[in-house]
Order: sequence, then structure tokens, then C-alpha cells
Amino acid sequence: MPILDGYSTSTGLDEMFDNGVLRPQYKCVASHLSQIDAKGFLDLQANADLETMSNGITFTVYSDSAGTERIFPFSLVPRIIEAAEWSLIESGLRQRIKTLNMFLEDIYNDAKCVADNVIPADLTLGNTAYQHQMKDFRPPLGCYTHVAGIDLIRAEDGRFRVLEDNLRTPSGVSYVIENRRTMRSIVPEMFPDSEIEIVDDYAEFLLDNLIAVRPENVTTDEVKIVVLTPGHFNSAYFEHSFLSRHMGVDLVEGRDLVVEDGILYMRSTTGLERVHVVYRRVDDDYLDPLVFKKDSLLGVPGIMDAYRKGNVTICNAPGTGVADDKSVYRFVPDLIRYYLSEEPVIENIPSYIGRIDEDLQFMLDNIRDLVVKPVDGSGGYGVLIGPQATAGQISARRKDISLKPEKWIAQPLQNFSTIPTFDGAKLEPRRSDLRAFVLTGQDSWCMPGGLTRVAPDQKSYIVNSSQGGGSKDTWVLKDYSRNGHVPNAKSTGGN
Amino acid sequence: MLARVAENLYWLGRYLERADNQARLIDVQRLLGSEFATNSEGLEFVLDTLEADESFAEARASQPELTAAQYLIHSTESRHSIRSTVTLARTLALELREHTSREVFEAINRLYLSMQTSSTRSIGETMERTRNSVATVLGLFENTVIQSEGAHWMRIGILLERADMTSRIVDAKYFMSLPEGEMVGGPVDRHQWRGVLRSASALEAYHKSYLGSIRVDRAIDLLFLSPLFPRSLVYCIDSMRNEFLQATAETPPARALVSSTELAVIQLDLKAQSGAQIVSAGLHEFIDRFQATLIRIHEALTENLFKGSPTQTTDSPPELSRIESLQSS
Repeated sequence: MPILDGYSTSTGLDEMFDNGVLRPQYKCVASHLSQIDAKGFLDLQANADLETMSNGITFTVYSDSAGTERIFPFSLVPRIIEAAEWSLIESGLRQRIKTLNMFLEDIYNDAKCVADNVIPADLTLGNTAYQHQMKDFRPPLGCYTHVAGIDLIRAEDGRFRVLEDNLRTPSGVSYVIENRRTMRSIVPEMFPDSEIEIVDDYAEFLLDNLIAVRPENVTTDEVKIVVLTPGHFNSAYFEHSFLSRHMGVDLVEGRDLVVEDGILYMRSTTGLERVHVVYRRVDDDYLDPLVFKKDSLLGVPGIMDAYRKGNVTICNAPGTGVADDKSVYRFVPDLIRYYLSEEPVIENIPSYIGRIDEDLQFMLDNIRDLVVKPVDGSGGYGVLIGPQATAGQISARRKDISLKPEKWIAQPLQNFSTIPTFDGAKLEPRRSDLRAFVLTGQDSWCMPGGLTRVAPDQKSYIVNSSQGGGSKDTWVLKDYSRNGHVPNAKSTGGN
Repeated sequence: MLARVAENLYWLGRYLERADNQARLIDVQRLLGSEFATNSEGLEFVLDTLEADESFAEARASQPELTAAQYLIHSTESRHSIRSTVTLARTLALELREHTSREVFEAINRLYLSMQTSSTRSIGETMERTRNSVATVLGLFENTVIQSEGAHWMRIGILLERADMTSRIVDAKYFMSLPEGEMVGGPVDRHQWRGVLRSASALEAYHKSYLGSIRVDRAIDLLFLSPLFPRSLVYCIDSMRNEFLQATAETPPARALVSSTELAVIQLDLKAQSGAQIVSAGLHEFIDRFQATLIRIHEALTENLFKGSPTQTTDSPPELSRIESLQSS
């Protein structure tokens, strides 16, 4: 029996079927799936997993001491986004990133948004992620969020919404590129005749942006760029290595770097070599033990001094965490209106934050219908799904909220869209989100598509990889009307 | 290049070469040793060569069922097992992903994954797969990895390990006893030397180079002094010096001085000898001296080149000026 038979979308909105009718952009995928039974699909899946495993595309689950290395489960049914819809998303992402950069520049300089009562001071200047080291300092090109990952979901009304902003060290982009590669190798027949946007030039754009934000007095010929990783035990090490490889720059750890007289150097076989741009994948806290976490053995003593002297550029800038705080999220639509005098292209999900009295009251009254998250959490840890929680969990969480209201936010449970995902025997609808990646230097560039993450089972609303979900390839169809391009026939190859 | 990466590439080369030697040794000796069966399944020579005899005896005291083959191949507790060596290589390969190639990493990773499952494969198959995998990795390294500074450091690791292993293989023969009544140069002695040559992949090379039955001085000529045989000490040291000069082309002389001097001295030293001279002056003593030199080279590399310490980068570090004044005086 073909695995697509009996696929039911009773759970709500589905990406592939519109009330049981196949959406046109999925025609090619569906016709391929209609020829495969469970056994055939299991074989394909096994080939894909084998490829992933032998490529060493693994990640580490912190809470699991035994299973230190796992592959990120990969699902062979892609998400497909039409060109017109993507171009709307893209403009929304640019608008958002532009705003968040302006917000960061503002709070680290004049704090006009606070003076104008757009956002409370304790969420900005009083935020634990606020870095006083960044005060009155303008990073090159005024850019703070060189690499951003914006999580989107498609809500019940069919429109995308921003679920969360990630402006510190967002990860996942390497999976996007690897997923495409796996799809091309395992199910080439699934690809449509028309072209889809390519994703594997991400590293080139990243490199261009890192070059663009180099210190002012450094030429493009002499600029030396490194990727800074916490080391190969980090869960995202594969990606750190992947990016440095694809950019052709050195991958360094804190112990490979040293600051002398306000200049950052790398320890090389020939001696010390000057470094101008650091794409860091370590948290603010572990950047510089002289400034941030004083008891840390990690980090590069003096790197903040070198940064403030303009001798090195750190990407993303320290202190961007203020802008992706879950409480600040509530104010992003207001910030867009404030800085750009525009309406948000992509809306937020309604949010209630514990530090505002009326929000708090609403939270406590409606907790059974809400999703309650810690403001400073990530990876899906500590999330309470009201409608699925037990009475005990609800009352415990109520107590937590009453004790420290400012630590919590709540949102109405979103019945966001599903995508067919193989469960071992058949395809079932699983909820999925989309992490879009935006690179910023002189301008912003959005990677077409992004990382589609799926929930681990049909009931779950949590899609984070650390919760055991998987990922999918994401196709953005090319817009021929936009660039006047003629579709290639399949024989001459797509991307 | 990054000093830590250079050091890791050097060690990756060493571990890969070590895994290959371990597999070849076990395979050859297992077959050879079965003719004079002992309680170590004919693997005593391998235990001796890897200096693993004492630790094996200790391990066996607590686990009487442990076989030498298990200890040398699959044991995760033994640092002398192929599995441990492969795991070390793979850990480095993970860390070095961006300095090798996708093909190289995948080949190492596949070898590692295959060592994780103790399957029903015979020892022979396992050894063959290990050797083929290492050969594949080294071949892919030549064909798919940019041959810049890092490639030289990796080859220095391979060559140093290979020289060390060749000398160890010969040294283990030195300690191999002959059954009572057997003479040096007699059939059993020659049989043992044949095993030594085979352990170093040198038996065919021997027959191509010399007519007649195996003689110890000729075996030493081939294994130590041949400039043409790729596992001989002279070949390894010559190639190592060559790689070293390329790897350190941009390096300030002070950093490279000690290693390069050691390499030059041992190179001259080897070339001034013959197999017969080495045998008559004492094979074991020669090997001891040779291995001590390898250790000094290794230490000089580690201290002077892989540390990348800031004190050595100023224009005229104290060490350099001292050396210069010594040279000029």
C-alpha cells in the first residue's frame, strides 16, 4: 500500500493538503510518494540515515549521558514554499532584523525607545543579557546581529508568524545544506522540473558579510577571519566545522587565541598570526573571562578590550541577547512601528508577559489554554503546554509564576501546520516550524527556505531538536516572473 | 597554520599508521605463531612489539578468559588495541574535519563504526578491513586534500610512526628466543626473520633485492638502510626531513632549529652504516639509540612548533639571540 494512502489531516492545517486536496506545488513529491510502500520508504530512510551517520552529521543531547552522539532524524518529505509567499516572508524578515539592529544600537547608546516609553527600562537596560561593555560602542557598520535565526510557524489562518527570534549564536544552517544534499542523492526523482532556490551558497554570503564588517583599517586582502567554537564536545560542533570548512577559514578554540597589547592573535606553527574578525559560536559568558564570567577557564582574556579598541570584530556582537529575550519579543511589533513607521509584515503570536500586571492575571486565569515558557529558556526545555498538562503540573506552574512572574511568558496554544512525516509504517501529520536564517553586514540576505523542524510525534507541539524531533528539506520555488528566468528542463539539471 | 591543528594532523598520521601496523602485525604473527603455539595464540611477538606484554598480563590477572587477540583488537580498556587506536584517530578526525576532506573523514568514520560492533567476522577479515581502510584514508588524503602545510605535518606523523614501528618489529625479533638446539642462521631463525620481514611488508621487497635465503645483515640493510624501500628507517627519515623542510618553509628558524638538527644528524648517521656493521656493533643498542632520537624529534616538534607560544614570536626572542651568538662565536 502506498504510504500516502489514508493520510488524514484531521489535526488541522496541513502544508501538503488543503482540506484533503493536494496543493499544486507538492504534485511532484506526491506522485513519487504514491509509488512507494512502507518497505520501500524504510529502505530510502535507511540509506539517508546511513549517509548522515557516515558523514558524521551528529549532535549531542546534553541530558542524555549515554547517547552522546545521535543523528538528527531526517524526514524525506520536504516543505515547499511558493515564490510569492517566500518573497513576503523575506521582506518581513528583513524588516524585523533591521528593527532589532536599530533597537540594539539604541539601547546601547541613547536608549530613546525607553525614553519614549516604547519598552520598559527593566527589559532593556535592566535585562540580564544587557552587556555594559557594549555601552557607547558602535560595532563596524552598526551591525550587531550578523547571523540571525528567526523561527516561524504557519498559524491556523494559513499565514506565517514569528515564534521566536534567535540573535545570539543560532544554529542549524548546516543541516539545511546537508539535507538538500541527502535529498538530491536519495530521492532525486522527487524534485520538480522547475528550479528551486539553492541553499549551498550560504557560506559564501556569510564570508562576504564577515569581510564587510572587518575593522576599518584592514584591507580585504589581509583580513583574517576565524570561527570560534567551544570545542568538539559542543553539540553544534559539526556545524562550526562545516562553516569554517566551507568558508575556508580557521576553526579555533579559546586556547588558540591570545591578546597582546589590545591585538588578537592566533597561535600558529609560525608564531602568532593576527586575527581581524571572529565569528564566534560561544556564548557571551564564555567570551572573555576578564569581563564576563570571571571564573571561566574558557574564553580569550582581553578579547573585549581588543574589540572595543576596534582591532577585531566579534560576530554576533556581545549583548544581542537583549533583543531575542522572550519578554522583549512581545514589543517587537511596537519597535517596528517605532523605528520604521511600518506595520509588521510578519506578525507575532499574542504573548503575555508576567511582568505586566494585566498579562499576569490573564496568564493565571487562562493557564489551561496557554503555553507557558521560561523567558530565558531555549531548546524547548521547561515549556508547559496547558491543554496537555495534568492538574498537578498546572498548579505547580501557577505557583512558579506567582513567585517570579517576570520569569515567565505565555502564548495561546498555536495549532500550527503539519507536514506528512514517516512514522515507520505510514505518513502522519506532524507539526513543524521553520527556522529562517538572515545574514547582515552592509545589507541583509535571507537564505531561501531554512530549517524545517518536525515534532517527534503526532501529538507534540515541540519541534526542537533537543526534544528528539527531526528535520526536513525546505524548497523555495523559483520566481521566474521576478528574474525573467526560463525554467530548465530536467535533463539540463536544476540546482 | 593553527599550531593545535598541525599537532592534531601529526597525531592523526601517527594513529592511522599505527592501526595499519597493528593489523599487519597481528595478521602475520597469528599465522606464523600458530606453528610454535604458545599460550598467547602466537601473538607474543605482537605484544612484545607494542610493549603491551606487561599490561596484557595485568589485564589477564583480573579477566582470565581474555585472549591476546581480544586484548589487541577489540578491547576498549587496552590502549594497545586497534579499536583504541582507531577511536583516537576518529576523535581527531572529527576535530579536524575542516582540514581533511569529506571523503577522508567518511572513510575514517566508517572504519570507526565498523569497530564498534563485535561481529562474527574472522580476525583475518577484520585485519584486512582495517588495513584496507587505512590505505583508503591515506590514498584519499593524497587525492582529495589540499597539499598545504597540514598535509606535511600529517605525513611527518605517518613517517615517524612507521620508522618507530619498523625498528620495534626488528627489536622484538632480537628478544625472540630460539628453541633449544636451534642455531642463529638455522631454519627456525630464518623462519622468524621471514616473519619479521612479512610484518614490515618487506618479504617481497627482500626477494626482489637479494637472491638466496634470508640473512640477518641483508634484512637489516633492507629494513633500516634501503633508500628505496618505503618502510625502511632511511626512507622514512629522508622523507620526513623533506616534509619537515616544506612544512616549516615559513617558520622562523629558531622554532624549527632543534627538530631540524635532530633530523639532519640521524639522517647522516644512518647513511654512514651498513647492516653488517649494525649487527656486529649490537642491533638492540642501535635500535635504542634510534628510538631515543625519534623521541627527541617528537619532543622538539611538540615543544617548539605545536605550542605556538607567544614568547617565540617577537622579532628577536632570547633563545634566538643566544643561538645566533653561539653560532657566530
